[in-house]
Amino acid sequence: MAGAIIENMSTKKLVIVGVTLLLFQALAFMVGGLIAPGPTSAIEYLATKCVDGIKHRQESKWLMPWGPQQCEKLQNFEEAMAKRIEANNIVFAVHIPMPGNEMSPWFQFILVILQLDIMFKMNNQIEEGAVVTIDVSLAYRDDLFSEWTEMAHSFEHRNLNCNFTAAKTIENEGRQYDCDALPFMEVGSVAHKYYLINIRLPVNERKKINIGIGEIRDIRLVGIHQNGGFTKVWFAMKTFLTPSILIIMIWYWRRITLMTRPPVLLEKVIFALGISMTFINIPVEWFSVGFNWTWMLLFGDIRQGIFYSMLLSFWIIFCGEHLMDQSERNRFSVYWKQVGPIVFGSFCLFIFDMCERGVQLTNPFYSIWASDIGTELAMSFIIVAGICACLYFLFLCFMVFQVFRNISGKRTSLPAMSKARRLHYEGLIFRFKFLMLVSLLILDVLVLMICFVCVGDGGATSGEDIQLTTTITHADGPTEIYKMTGKEAQE
Amino acid sequence: EMLVEEFVADTESVNNFLMTGPKAYLIYSSSVAAGAQSGIDECKYQFAWDRWNCPERALQLSTHSSLRSANRETAFVHAISSAGVMYTLTRNCSLGDFDNCGCDDSRNGQRGGHGWLWGGCSDNVGFGEAISKQFVDALETGQDARAAMNLHNNEAGRKAVKGTMQKTCKCHGVSGSCTTQTCWLQLPEFREVGNYLKEKYHRALKVDLLRGAGNSAASRGAIAETFNSISRKELVHLEDSPDYCLENRTLGLAGTEGRECLKKGKNLNKWEKRSCRRLCGECGLAVEERKAEMVSSCNCKFHWCCAVKCEQCRKTVTKYYCVKKGGKRGRNESATIRRKSPRLRKKH
Repeated sequence: MAGAIIENMSTKKLVIVGVTLLLFQALAFMVGGLIAPGPTSAIEYLATKCVDGIKHRQESKWLMPWGPQQCEKLQNFEEAMAKRIEANNIVFAVHIPMPGNEMSPWFQFILVILQLDIMFKMNNQIEEGAVVTIDVSLAYRDDLFSEWTEMAHSFEHRNLNCNFTAAKTIENEGRQYDCDALPFMEVGSVAHKYYLINIRLPVNERKKINIGIGEIRDIRLVGIHQNGGFTKVWFAMKTFLTPSILIIMIWYWRRITLMTRPPVLLEKVIFALGISMTFINIPVEWFSVGFNWTWMLLFGDIRQGIFYSMLLSFWIIFCGEHLMDQSERNRFSVYWKQVGPIVFGSFCLFIFDMCERGVQLTNPFYSIWASDIGTELAMSFIIVAGICACLYFLFLCFMVFQVFRNISGKRTSLPAMSKARRLHYEGLIFRFKFLMLVSLLILDVLVLMICFVCVGDGGATSGEDIQLTTTITHADGPTEIYKMTGKEAQE
Repeated sequence: EMLVEEFVADTESVNNFLMTGPKAYLIYSSSVAAGAQSGIDECKYQFAWDRWNCPERALQLSTHSSLRSANRETAFVHAISSAGVMYTLTRNCSLGDFDNCGCDDSRNGQRGGHGWLWGGCSDNVGFGEAISKQFVDALETGQDARAAMNLHNNEAGRKAVKGTMQKTCKCHGVSGSCTTQTCWLQLPEFREVGNYLKEKYHRALKVDLLRGAGNSAASRGAIAETFNSISRKELVHLEDSPDYCLENRTLGLAGTEGRECLKKGKNLNKWEKRSCRRLCGECGLAVEERKAEMVSSCNCKFHWCCAVKCEQCRKTVTKYYCVKKGGKRGRNESATIRRKSPRLRKKH
């Protein structure tokens, strides 16, 4: 087997590269822990109950919860009962952000979660399999005095998943159901300063719309966005890292082309890994500050997907090229069995992501988890991807096992070899073991970290525990570590 | 109702007291009053079937009352009121009623007014806690053991709100994975806070500080030390509770005569089932059965809000009341006297 560049490097150089990498990682840790704020903020908004007066409808259909043009408010629904206002004339209004603040492109995205506070009433209970129909519209404006411009309007269905912990008796009337949080809205860029959400829950007895959903007391929204400070530090790190990775890649490829032989497969794969890493690191997000590109979230997902599939393929090929079993490899097509699941799995996740975030480009209120068919579809994609991942890990484990078996076989024949040949093999074995251990260690640490983040926050994962299964191990160098640190520091 | 007015009046005097601060405190006073009211309502609900039923007179949080007691019930009233104020302020914050909740740059600050853009705002709860502290604790001007007790219980009420908050998380990494996750705390129902504090009420700690306590600096130090050694989540009282069975004009107690109690019904819990024995029997009163006809709406067609089209139904309900003995029904009397158990007395 022809030695790849990384294996012909002297131990001294390898150590230097390793130490530099470690230093970078430590630096990223420090930046994440000391300078940057937590990655995201969550703000709870309680919807204001407005009366949609029929006479005012022509003037302005947007109802503001506060400020100079605020709507006619209701404190609670007993007041509505007394005034003989019907359910169809009540609008829940939420202004994002809170008074005195404004949104900024640095926030990157807004994700909103819906929570319904439903009271228990003996003769108005939530029916089995209740579905709530929401007539929701979103508007924006860039100063406090101009008119609202509509951004999106949609009728959405969400399955209510509530349970009542106390006994269902007359004494417990008025207590609240414990309802799962529902996905509500996702906007991929924050180009405007003020956003307004108007929610209606229309009632139609004939069509059975919003019947049997209990007695609603309040609607709460939780808005999540990335912190501006986090975004800035993140961009800065990306901007700093991209040229360094580019320089290393150019140096590496030049060294390979200077050699007399054509590059071997492993070298090509490492180069491809470098390219995908550069692709994920190029700070194209800077554009999101100036332009209203809502597809940035989707684009980020795709870039990450490409990087992960490249990384996984790299590990397979890295092991395969170290099998030392004299058979002819050095061709990509030899690995189709192992790489196939990766490609297929990533493709499944890509389709899933297109169905979720892709559709959200046109309708920010869309969620694949909202309908039963959608949930089944999403689940099937995720399960197929999970099976692919399992297959991949089985292949990988088998290969690592084979490599170690061959190595120990080689060990016994080492003393019989000539000195130069023996040194070559010893170096090879040492480095393979070293790299393998380091990769395993990084993988372990990251898996552990992800587990800690997930488990540490308790089981209140808002009914979407399934999504845990899509959790992929992150191993994307300093930027990811920086992200993680930010999260740890926040807690 | 009367009490709330008094509370508002008090907060206004607090405003005068805090005139160094901005006028903005007036913005909060209606929320503070509403919060105190919700505290009172919750207190009444929690103590509906106890001998002491949270009467309006007990809720005077003001300092100038010469009748200030320092028993277990006072402790609960202070805790639930300050919890109510904190709860309502936090809730109104989320409604967007105030301009600067959670996003006060002076607290978030290091980054020169860009706190919101840089790292987001702090929780609304923190804001509610701070304002509640300023308003409710300011009513306590003295420096004696009673004042220290009230401040401690106010703090316990606020800790109860924080302690009952629920953490919810949302995963939003690639394809909705949990590689990125955001968590937040949300307010529970106020009933949860009430239940939590009722439990604390049953386990309230008694501190013996009243005897021989002057107003010297040394005793003040001792008071501070004693209260610091107790967990801030616990309720504290200095005196034992009086006998709530009897009417006591000087203490402003109405006694249990004329109170309603619960007897039958499959859905009652133990505490409620024993309420007639506790309120009437053990206080030497008889239970009287009264039948009343009630008119209520029924067979309504309900929507998520605002019921439409109801019928009026009449039904007879049986209610039980505590009355003086030697009057109406001998049967009830004998039944209740026989069962005079000392067990429940010990509990108090």
